[in-house]
Amino acid sequence: MAVKIIVACGSGVATSQTVASKVNRMLKEKKVDAVVEAVDLKSVERYMAGSAAYITIVKNAKEYPIPVINGIAFLTGVGKDQEFEKLLKAIEDYKKKN
Amino acid sequence: MQLLANIVNFFLGLGAAVFVPIIIIIAGLIVKMKIKDAISAGVTLGVAFSGMSMLINYMTGVITPAATAMLESTGINLPITDGGWTTMSTISWSWPYAFLMFPLVIVINIIMLAINKTDTFNADLWNVWGKIFTAVAVYYITKSVIAAFAIAAVQIVFELKSADFHQHRVEKLSGIPGVTCTHKMVFLAAPMYIVDCLLKRIPVLNKSFNAEDLKEKVGIFAENHILGFLLGIIFGLLARYNVAGILTLGVQCATALTLFPVISKYFMQALEPISNAVSEYMQGRFADREMHVGLDWPFLGGANEIWLAVIWTVPVTLLMSFILPGNKILPFAGIINIAIAVPAYFVCNGNILRMLIQCTIFTPVFLWVGTAFAPFMTELANTTKAVELAPGQLISNSSIDGPIFTYAFSHAAKALQGDFIPLIILILWIVSFVLYSRSLIQEKKEDMAKERA
Repeated sequence: MAVKIIVACGSGVATSQTVASKVNRMLKEKKVDAVVEAVDLKSVERYMAGSAAYITIVKNAKEYPIPVINGIAFLTGVGKDQEFEKLLKAIEDYKKKN
Repeated sequence: MQLLANIVNFFLGLGAAVFVPIIIIIAGLIVKMKIKDAISAGVTLGVAFSGMSMLINYMTGVITPAATAMLESTGINLPITDGGWTTMSTISWSWPYAFLMFPLVIVINIIMLAINKTDTFNADLWNVWGKIFTAVAVYYITKSVIAAFAIAAVQIVFELKSADFHQHRVEKLSGIPGVTCTHKMVFLAAPMYIVDCLLKRIPVLNKSFNAEDLKEKVGIFAENHILGFLLGIIFGLLARYNVAGILTLGVQCATALTLFPVISKYFMQALEPISNAVSEYMQGRFADREMHVGLDWPFLGGANEIWLAVIWTVPVTLLMSFILPGNKILPFAGIINIAIAVPAYFVCNGNILRMLIQCTIFTPVFLWVGTAFAPFMTELANTTKAVELAPGQLISNSSIDGPIFTYAFSHAAKALQGDFIPLIILILWIVSFVLYSRSLIQEKKEDMAKERA
């Protein structure tokens, strides 16, 4: 089964889906078997279990049980490649563990 | 000419779930998408329309009988169903001229950047629908497509200017450099600024407290399924349903609120490739120019104050809807009112006490504007068959973004018919916008001076 990654925004509709579609396309190009799902920020903690990484578009000091990737990079294009590398590594680590 | 009109009418007659996908496939091919990807986007968009129509049908089928029973048992008459912003965006995209808004947004942005009238590149092409929404109202009032796009153009310019002025404060509040908020919900911050000047004089309101702990405790009430369930229970009680009826309504309302974002996500999935192509083109074109990237509001979603204000506004909106003269909308899918909390957050610099007061003061505006827009949105939905409504059923949104701006600018032409109120509101809004912008510019100057010192 494909590895799951989550991305959240205020309603789980527009911004998060933009990032999800974009990252999904990048993963497909690299032929990585993983899929990004857009979820609602208000319920994000319910989706942590079973996900390899959390792409966040907000800045807060909270600690999460899974690796956190900066999603703003995918919206602005600045630092996009570094964040994508981080994501690929998180996927690899997740695969090794499971 | 007649043949062309016939062809156009044939396509429009197919309904939004068919003709809008055809438009997006064509648009996709124009921005050089692969044929199979363009078709995939088109069909996904058709799914989004049909899915939303199904869901809105389900929602009105659940809410309308409860609203009727509430009228009988309490005398509260709120016949307009609140479909929230997801419903409004669905109906807006079904406007036959909707897709022309993309080139308008992009061209205005390029011109403004080229003549140095803005430093913002608006990467948020999802909220093109907000311009379409305003244009639709103008179109129904003036019957002129040109007037509709002219007012939309004014909105686009104001969004860029507002984003420019806000950039510094956005960076201070969010800690994220290089971005700003181009969403029109921010327009409400201008009139809020006038109120805030008064509130700031009350010393006790300048206290701050830790919003995080409180948000952790009450955050569950903003989750769609829980909020929907509670609203269903309240409606059921007011409608004097029996216990089984109340619980059933609770679960049905939870279902509607949970599924709205799930289905409207397909709109974004379909539109993303086009929006991505445009973004990459723009970033390439202005690669050597320093720009702020304009985004939708959610990058601010880490602020606990925003969520507390949203949760506070839920009961305030519900109570006010029952007693406010002139309100005809029963708050439901639009009750999570981000459009009130985000501007309050900007104006009050995150001071939660003043934010809650602002949210209380401005709630009636949302109910009135929601009521005022019901005829247009219902008529458009019925003409394009974007959403299937029962005869006589009205639909709107209790949290229309930038309600004062949207109402005033879209209704300004009513002055020609002797109704000057929208025009007066328009002028007052512009005055408040100028004053607020000055304070934002002043703040930036002072901070820069401090940095240098």
